[in-house]
Amino acid sequence: MRAAGPSTTDLTRYLPRQISTDPAGFEALARLHGATRRLFGELLTLDLTPLRFFDANMCAPLGAVLALVADRFNAVRVVNIAAPVEQIFRKNRFLVRYGYPSLPDTNHTTMPFRRLRLPGDGEFSEYVSDQFRGKGLPRMSDRAVDAFRKSVFEVFQNATLHSDSELGAFACGQFFPNKERLDFTMADAGIGIRDRVRDYLGVPDLSSVSCLRWAIQPRHSTRAEPSPGGLGFEFLKKFANLNGGRIQIVSRRGYYEFRGTEDVFRPLDADYPGTAVTIEINTADSGRYVTTNEIPSSE
Amino acid sequence: MTFEEPAMPEPITVPLYDFVGGPLCVTSTDGERLYDRIAPLLRSDTPVRLSFEKVEIVISAFLNASVGRLYGEFPEDRIHALLSFAHLSPEDLEMVDRVVENAKAYFSRPADYERAWLETLSEDDRGD
Repeated sequence: MRAAGPSTTDLTRYLPRQISTDPAGFEALARLHGATRRLFGELLTLDLTPLRFFDANMCAPLGAVLALVADRFNAVRVVNIAAPVEQIFRKNRFLVRYGYPSLPDTNHTTMPFRRLRLPGDGEFSEYVSDQFRGKGLPRMSDRAVDAFRKSVFEVFQNATLHSDSELGAFACGQFFPNKERLDFTMADAGIGIRDRVRDYLGVPDLSSVSCLRWAIQPRHSTRAEPSPGGLGFEFLKKFANLNGGRIQIVSRRGYYEFRGTEDVFRPLDADYPGTAVTIEINTADSGRYVTTNEIPSSE
Repeated sequence: MTFEEPAMPEPITVPLYDFVGGPLCVTSTDGERLYDRIAPLLRSDTPVRLSFEKVEIVISAFLNASVGRLYGEFPEDRIHALLSFAHLSPEDLEMVDRVVENAKAYFSRPADYERAWLETLSEDDRGD
């Protein structure tokens, strides 16, 4: 059975030359989702000809988009991948699912792409244990590494509790030695923060950005009693502040970024299906992580 | 944060490393399980000590579901009298304090807690 939808060759026009961990990168993936969302029982040949640069950690949200395609009984092939992009995708094992052999990560800069079941606490714990060693992290103090590990567990728990993502969560990270930065992204294909907050507040037309603005406030949580919530993001922000890193959240048509002490919100011009959280850490951080009382609050 | 009273019987120690099956206290599921085990002890005035020996990572989701939830059932002074912590790093002790502060605020919030925020909304907040 075939349903109406764009032909697979049309998809190249949805792909830019570059997909980075920024609003334009997520808009490109959201447009890809929009172009494939009506496919049913098709063979999707994803022609990546236009793509020349791709932030490896963005394999997490790309994985979520393609999992949604496969969930509608479509088969996916990935073809015409530029050599530098293919090398990245094979090193982080993103392409293994699509029949490409993996490449050894000789520089130890890759946190491989992984699809995780929700809830799948043990699986994610193993991933963190395996992958959060090396990757430039030895330059960081032990306390900074622990704070980073805590942060990713907070993000994973948040996805577990709030995403309703039947397709699981998607994790991927990349260390950029020259920039002394590591970007780790966790994406889901769930209902997104917008719908969750709209339901909770009873405001059905609240925008994605406003929902994000609500969700990051201390003590704000859509989780009903008996347990309090709404602290995970506070710790994430404090870690980013101490570390000199960055937190980015994309959910539906909303984009949020925290760097230093500044909150930045902006709407996206396309609808990303779910939520993606990126933690960018400064791997040159040998700083002290003494007590949270010493961390300046941006609130 | 250690709340012990000399007149109290010896507390029951909960070795969290064994309780969660490893060094990671990172899920609300484990936190809820811990709450289910310690709440009956507190109800019977039995002191409880949570030992974080060999625990490497503790996150707020775990503490919210275990320690934070207690503040929805027990008065603060009773929790302070009966619950203590051992082998917590200074950072994690700070986190416990923050979780407690948050829980107290959460359980004492007014029914129309969200109203103030909702009243700040304008037409710009409506949309997709």
